[in-house]
Amino acid sequence: MSESSKLASIREKVRNGERLTSEDGIALFLEPDLLAIGQLANEVCEKRHGDRTYFNRNMRIEVTNVCVASCLFCSFAKLEEHMPGAHTMKLEEAWRELEMRMNDPGGPPTEIHIVNGLHPGLPFSYYEELLRGFKRIDPNVHLKCFTAVEIHFFAQHYGMTYVEVLEKLRAAGLESLPGGGAEIFDEGVRSKISHDKATAAEYLEVHRVAHRMGMRTNATMLYGHIETFAHRVDHLLRLRALQDETKGLQAFIPLAFHPDGNGMKNLPAPTAVDDLRTLAVSRLLLDNVDHIKAYWVSLTPDVAQIALRMGADDIDGTIVHETIYKAAGTRSPGALGYDELVRLIREAGRIPVERDTLYNVVRELPRAAVPEAALKPRDRERARPRALPVVQGDVRVKEVPS
Amino acid sequence: MTDKLRALGVAFLNARPLWESLKDDARVDLDLARPSALARALAENEADVGLLPVAAAATIGDLRLLRNMAIGARGKVRSVSIVSERPLHELESIALDLSSRTSVVLARLLLARRKLTPHLFATEPAQAIAGVKDRTGALVIGDAALDVETRFPYRLDLAEDWFEWTGLPFVFAAWFARAGAIDAEQEDILRVAKQKGLSRVDAIAKEHGARSGLDESSLRAYLTESIRYDLGDEELRGLERFWAEAAQAGLLPRATARFEQPSSTSGSSSASTSSSPSRPSLDTLLSRAADGERLSAADGERLLREGSFFELGLAADAVRRRKHPKGVVTYIVDRNVNYTNVCTTSCRFCAFYRPVGHPEGYVLTREVLGQKLQEVVDAGGVQILLQGGLNPDLPIGWYEDLFRWIKKEYRLGLHALSPEEILHLARLEDLSVRQVLEKLHAAGLDSVPGGGAEILVDRVRRKIAKAKCTSEEWLGVMRVAHHMGLRSSATMMYGTVDTLEDRIQHLVKIRDLQDETGGFTAFFCWDYQFEKGTHLAPGENGTHLYLRTQAVARLMLDNVDHVGASWVTQGPAVGQVALRFGADDFGSVMFEENVVSSAGTTFGINADKIEGRIRQAGFKAVRRNVRYEWLNEPG
Repeated sequence: MSESSKLASIREKVRNGERLTSEDGIALFLEPDLLAIGQLANEVCEKRHGDRTYFNRNMRIEVTNVCVASCLFCSFAKLEEHMPGAHTMKLEEAWRELEMRMNDPGGPPTEIHIVNGLHPGLPFSYYEELLRGFKRIDPNVHLKCFTAVEIHFFAQHYGMTYVEVLEKLRAAGLESLPGGGAEIFDEGVRSKISHDKATAAEYLEVHRVAHRMGMRTNATMLYGHIETFAHRVDHLLRLRALQDETKGLQAFIPLAFHPDGNGMKNLPAPTAVDDLRTLAVSRLLLDNVDHIKAYWVSLTPDVAQIALRMGADDIDGTIVHETIYKAAGTRSPGALGYDELVRLIREAGRIPVERDTLYNVVRELPRAAVPEAALKPRDRERARPRALPVVQGDVRVKEVPS
Repeated sequence: MTDKLRALGVAFLNARPLWESLKDDARVDLDLARPSALARALAENEADVGLLPVAAAATIGDLRLLRNMAIGARGKVRSVSIVSERPLHELESIALDLSSRTSVVLARLLLARRKLTPHLFATEPAQAIAGVKDRTGALVIGDAALDVETRFPYRLDLAEDWFEWTGLPFVFAAWFARAGAIDAEQEDILRVAKQKGLSRVDAIAKEHGARSGLDESSLRAYLTESIRYDLGDEELRGLERFWAEAAQAGLLPRATARFEQPSSTSGSSSASTSSSPSRPSLDTLLSRAADGERLSAADGERLLREGSFFELGLAADAVRRRKHPKGVVTYIVDRNVNYTNVCTTSCRFCAFYRPVGHPEGYVLTREVLGQKLQEVVDAGGVQILLQGGLNPDLPIGWYEDLFRWIKKEYRLGLHALSPEEILHLARLEDLSVRQVLEKLHAAGLDSVPGGGAEILVDRVRRKIAKAKCTSEEWLGVMRVAHHMGLRSSATMMYGTVDTLEDRIQHLVKIRDLQDETGGFTAFFCWDYQFEKGTHLAPGENGTHLYLRTQAVARLMLDNVDHVGASWVTQGPAVGQVALRFGADDFGSVMFEENVVSSAGTTFGINADKIEGRIRQAGFKAVRRNVRYEWLNEPG
């Protein structure tokens, strides 16, 4: 099998545990042989996680789509409260979302993921109260809320430092930050697609501060619009540098640009091959980040499933109620059932592992999708989801040996 | 073992001594079959042991030889010859009797050894002999060969020629069993049957002489002097040499002789060379496949079961690259028109059809059709794919008129009527398949779509589409169409009640027919699309299975040029990834498609988007016609 000598030397480096350079990253993006890159990323992924693929039972809530920023790629935000389609939830409305899920057959969600517009007219107490309300309903639910862009906006808008904002929100129940708002760090690209929100340096600084305070965060990259491969590599390497410094990033999630209904609707969406390549290269460049997530809402479940063999070890969660990608025309369904996620993972030949937000194992399911009736009684016991162990504070459930 | 041994013999004279006394043995269920049917039955586990031609044994793979029983010859065999009026090296074409694949493979090897390349074509045995004239010869087999033994001035006895080449006997057929299907005691039953049969050779010759009109003493000499029923060390070497030569020429999968029982129980054959060679590793299989070696059914099953996502993808990608080294992926601008949804077959996986008399039943009018066809012409389309239900109200004249009208008014390629529809017309009009195809061909039919193949294993077909044609009928229509010069695609719908073995068997049947006719242009597969309106629970499906299945198909179908990604069923994203799992074609731009979309699968995509996806996957894109000829420069 012929292949470029460049790819061969990168493979050599990866296998020797050597760090890849920016030049290597660009070569990987330019390499036409998707399978060769995918296989290398898969090797690295399996070295870290074996055959496990993580997922969680989460829910997403977007409490407001009113946003002072005017990002070109966004189909979600409305500039002002009175515009058609603009909506800000009453607190009770937001809390109700969780209340409705408390009696779910598999147990309540273990995580609430909140990402919002930058609303100029809400008091800071709205957010604090929002978090407190969720904790009142379910003290065990993990609150992964507000992107670095929102934290930066809060600091500016309400006249506080990042530390002050994060301290207040943590006191109200905040436990970790989602990774949204990273877009592309390159200043030239950023000034074109999202000029009026947190800069790259500010985004990274919020994460740095959060990490120093002991909070874990995720990071993202919005690819497939006007950026070049060099911009993607630059983005990934800035994250790698931050991670070297703080070790606070849990997961990296590449986000595919979707063109419907936004300021870049004339651009084509990235195709599956680009999605998979980006995921694989992310795994190879981000040698210090544990988890690479194939976010099924962005990728579609089919492509996310393929990604589980090309460097991703996580497929996100049940989600239930997603509106941001929906507005941009994703073909993905709004929610995937627990069983559906398990099926996707198993069919990719992986072991489904339900995790909490901090990647503690909630339960590990058997690998094979054997019909329950076909199992021996002892195996049947093992196959049945166990009673959900409570994950609380620092009490972590031990991993179930496979 | 308490069950009866399910044994299959062939009705040929030279096989008779081996099975004759089994007819009355209560421990054995004996059936007689043609060699091709025998191979199918053994492959589909309808028999435990069969008197199998050695080429078929290599194709199935992983079978066990029984010791010291075979049909072979050391030197002249008399019943397998190429006959002609001129010397062999002057022949321009040779008609083949395809009833013996082993003899055909042997003939190809012997011709290749002489560096002769006459055109080889298939006909019925009687036609083959009638056609021997001037520079056209014929490969004749069995009674037909004995019958014309002295009729033609030139005659190449294949076993004799083989002996001159290799110094080894040639083995045509032997008892082969499925692994683990036969015990030592049962093997002895067959061995005793052989002894009894050989003691009755005179009687057998006499009976056959009376029935066939051939000379009795000549037949006796044939059975006692030409045919050898032993499988000793020398015969085994001859057999393995044949398998090795055929594998090297890419005509058969690699095969080795493997035995079920240790040689000590029989005592008659030592076979120390190859009693239980270890299986090749998966890596070895994959790299052989990537290099273009032919895989056996057993090899294919192993790959589909055990091959990893990447291994299969990379091997299939290597085959794609070898067959299509220019890095070009084709697609076609055509339109799928379903002229009627009225259908009498009631397939359980179909949500499209309506029974006769149903208020939602339709037949498209010329007006509606014309509008659709004009849109195809306007969009730069080159053909329509015309398929429909089996509507008893539409006579063949309706199709002939329609085809002529389409050809006259729109000049589009007609990729029309799957085998099921051809068979339906033959039944409706009381015509042969050939007559139907000739009429349609004359009216403008260009090629036959490969739909309705589903899984070409009758056990599966009976469960999912009771009223549909059998595997043999489906393949038979394609055979006739190919012989007439029509091209067709081949398809596979898996993921209902079919097993992994069934899918491989399907691929082998396509490959066998392709060996014979070369008429398949491309292969497409997809999983059963379960939705509202279908009456069949989904079996195995999913994206990973799709990509793995397509990759294995690319590896198995070494004689089919093109493999297409079925983005219509899998979605354009998975379709694009499939280009790295062996596909070199992206199917067609879709105007509409009603059958799969009635089951809920709908994706819209235009030529620009298709080209964009092809390029992003790292290929050049080019438009094609139904024969996969490029219509523009790749870009």
